[in-house]
Amino acid sequence: MAELLRMEGISKRFGSFYANQDVSLQVEEGEVHTLLGENGAGKSTLMNILIGLYQPTEGKVYMRGQEVEISSPGVAVAHGIGMVHQHFMLIDDMTGLENIILGDKRHKSARLQLAEDRKTVEEIQERYGLEIDLDEKVSDMSIGMQQRVEIMKVLFRGADLLILDEPTAVLTDLEVQGLFDIMRSLTAEGKSIIFISHKMREVMAISDRVTVLRRGRSIQTLRVADTTEQELADLMIGQKFQENTYQKVSAPGAPELTLKDVSWHPEVKHGGLKDVSLTLHKGEVLGVAGIDGNGQSALAQLVTGLISPDSGEVEGPDGSKIAVFSPQSFIDAGLGNIPEDRNKMGLVGGMSVAENLVLKQTASDRFSSGHGAWLKMGAINDFAEQMREQNDIRCTSVNQTASSLSGGNQQKVILARELESHPKLLLAVYPTRGLDIGATEFIHNQIIAQRDAGCAVLLISADFDEVLKLSDRITVLFEGQIMGTYTGANPPIKEISLAMAGK
Amino acid sequence: MDVFLMSLPTILKTMVMGAVPILLASLGEVFSERAGLVNIGLEGVMAIGAFVGFAIGKMTGNLWLGLVVGMLAGIAVNLLYGFCTVTLCADQVVTGMAINILAPAIALFGYNLFVGSNPANATGDQMASLAIPGLANIPFVGNAFFNQTLMGYLAFVLVPLVWYFFKNFRFGLSFRSVGENPQAAETLGINVVRVKYLACVLCGALAAAGGAFLTLCYTPIYTDGIVMGRGFIALATVIFGRWSAVGVLGASLLFGFFDGLNVALQAQFQAAPVMFFKMIPYAFTIVALLFFGSKHAGPKANGKPYFREMR
Repeated sequence: MAELLRMEGISKRFGSFYANQDVSLQVEEGEVHTLLGENGAGKSTLMNILIGLYQPTEGKVYMRGQEVEISSPGVAVAHGIGMVHQHFMLIDDMTGLENIILGDKRHKSARLQLAEDRKTVEEIQERYGLEIDLDEKVSDMSIGMQQRVEIMKVLFRGADLLILDEPTAVLTDLEVQGLFDIMRSLTAEGKSIIFISHKMREVMAISDRVTVLRRGRSIQTLRVADTTEQELADLMIGQKFQENTYQKVSAPGAPELTLKDVSWHPEVKHGGLKDVSLTLHKGEVLGVAGIDGNGQSALAQLVTGLISPDSGEVEGPDGSKIAVFSPQSFIDAGLGNIPEDRNKMGLVGGMSVAENLVLKQTASDRFSSGHGAWLKMGAINDFAEQMREQNDIRCTSVNQTASSLSGGNQQKVILARELESHPKLLLAVYPTRGLDIGATEFIHNQIIAQRDAGCAVLLISADFDEVLKLSDRITVLFEGQIMGTYTGANPPIKEISLAMAGK
Repeated sequence: MDVFLMSLPTILKTMVMGAVPILLASLGEVFSERAGLVNIGLEGVMAIGAFVGFAIGKMTGNLWLGLVVGMLAGIAVNLLYGFCTVTLCADQVVTGMAINILAPAIALFGYNLFVGSNPANATGDQMASLAIPGLANIPFVGNAFFNQTLMGYLAFVLVPLVWYFFKNFRFGLSFRSVGENPQAAETLGINVVRVKYLACVLCGALAAAGGAFLTLCYTPIYTDGIVMGRGFIALATVIFGRWSAVGVLGASLLFGFFDGLNVALQAQFQAAPVMFFKMIPYAFTIVALLFFGSKHAGPKANGKPYFREMR
């Protein structure tokens, strides 16, 4: 096979931080080439250089053996490079067709040639089996279809090299299969694909070769046929990777929180709660399994005091009924919370890492005088440095903004803040969503450590494997109701799966 | 009712005349906001256009030259806004406010130099009205719509042109995408910065033309503060008109109608305080915004600065 792309000695510096350092990548025609690496390993930076959004500090790019300077995204398009971004680059207010032809300059006329373009698009649709409703507004499309619009955008511009940035992160299993079919039909026609992912199973299933990135450097390129998941995982995290298994607790402590027939907006099937009863004991992890949108959010809000139940009772550790539902009173009672969306609910993106770390304790004597009137910046910084050390938060300084950290490191900041106060009750909602194996392991270890220290943990996750791995007991939510509660040691997986489907 | 019918031609005439400056400025703002720039400096740009248009028109005796130079002055002022918000990524509201303070002050300075102590210097020529034969004689609406200055006609002709531009032109589509999602536009090879600057040029030219209309067609006497908040009203008409040229036309006419009503009522109830009636168009603006001021409408990236290498 002929070489299509070669990147040599690419470096990209942001301030004093190297996001890429001496990275090399070579892609052949008609192959699926995976770029594998943890969060913050420099995959996105490298791809942003390839499509002209960033300019490399050093290094050269060759297309079909010719050196090219990709000074802007337009140049990348002209060289046949197209990217499907992880966060879609679509205009919500425009139709599928408008999005596809946007910015295209094939027609001499200044006016739009919608009819002609539609024909071209339909031909491509036919050829690769891309199902898109061209006249629907993007905001009304399913995620899967939005992604197909993105792929079509790239194909419409005649791309030979498609970059798919974590395309499966947002898809259901069925949609992933559909995407893989499309990818296969593309490579069969001689197109090349750079596939970015850290889901090992998918990488093994779809790619021809894999280049591993670690901490901004390219480590090695391997044929998938000659390697194993284990070897790739080891290369990716830079040490022998051993997935932990945890001892299950069979005899937990006293109840910490009890829900008795709690309902909240029970008429709402996908978002309400109906007659939910569950008990959370000290020193155990109770996992809530279920397909997203079956009342998990409401349960999380209830346990954090954001909403109060319409009916039913919630009891505290001493069996007394909780009357006041407010986040402050729950925090005072010893709640730690790892929220569902770390950017929206967990962190204040524009504030520094240090400030985020002390957000819950600004009124304490340790970090301020006069109940928060005057912050002790020195103490806050020392504390932040200590937390950074203990939790392996990778940042150039604790004074950089939280939004500039990678997802895994953001989650570590949240975890550090929430666990610092030694919570009696820890709520973890999708705690490892979008994180790589290294960060996931770290967060799992921390959760189990809390359990072993006597904390009651409520784990809500759409990742069934995660629930199975961490939970001492598993309860299943379906349309706001509890379908059953099962033991975490040797769980009846088939029964649980059926319960998740409402059977 | 008879009284109303009697004053209807006056109301309609004032409506059309009053709508033109707002229409021009808000068409400019449509370009600006479609490219993601909320320009609250319209008022200031209009003030510059009004003064420069008046001064050049009076000095040279050529009103059209006055209009063109006024528009150029508006472009210059608005490019200052563009430089701050697009190149330096400064806050749009703060920059717009600065323009609103700076530009009228420049106009006042020029006015003091130009008029000095001779009040005769504050009176200029007006563009002549051109009656369209036949159409101008239609009862009620004829005199209002078909007996305008050429500049007034041009303003109305712009509406379908702008509408067609955004709907059917390739560049119109690209233009809109910049205000909706500049990152996405950039990945498609659209030069976001260039589009934003172009929007500044168009907005500056149109808003200044709106200001110049006031001195060249609306009233012969130049007074300081002649724009009287019309720039802010234009901002409201853009929201009310749903960021479309046709919508903005409707909203401008509606504002003009209330302006006309104000004039008619003033004539009718001479005992009542004038200010009470003058308030009508502005009060209407607030009411309109109460109902149509939803933050969720309009270009998605409107008002947000755009950094290319954002991390």
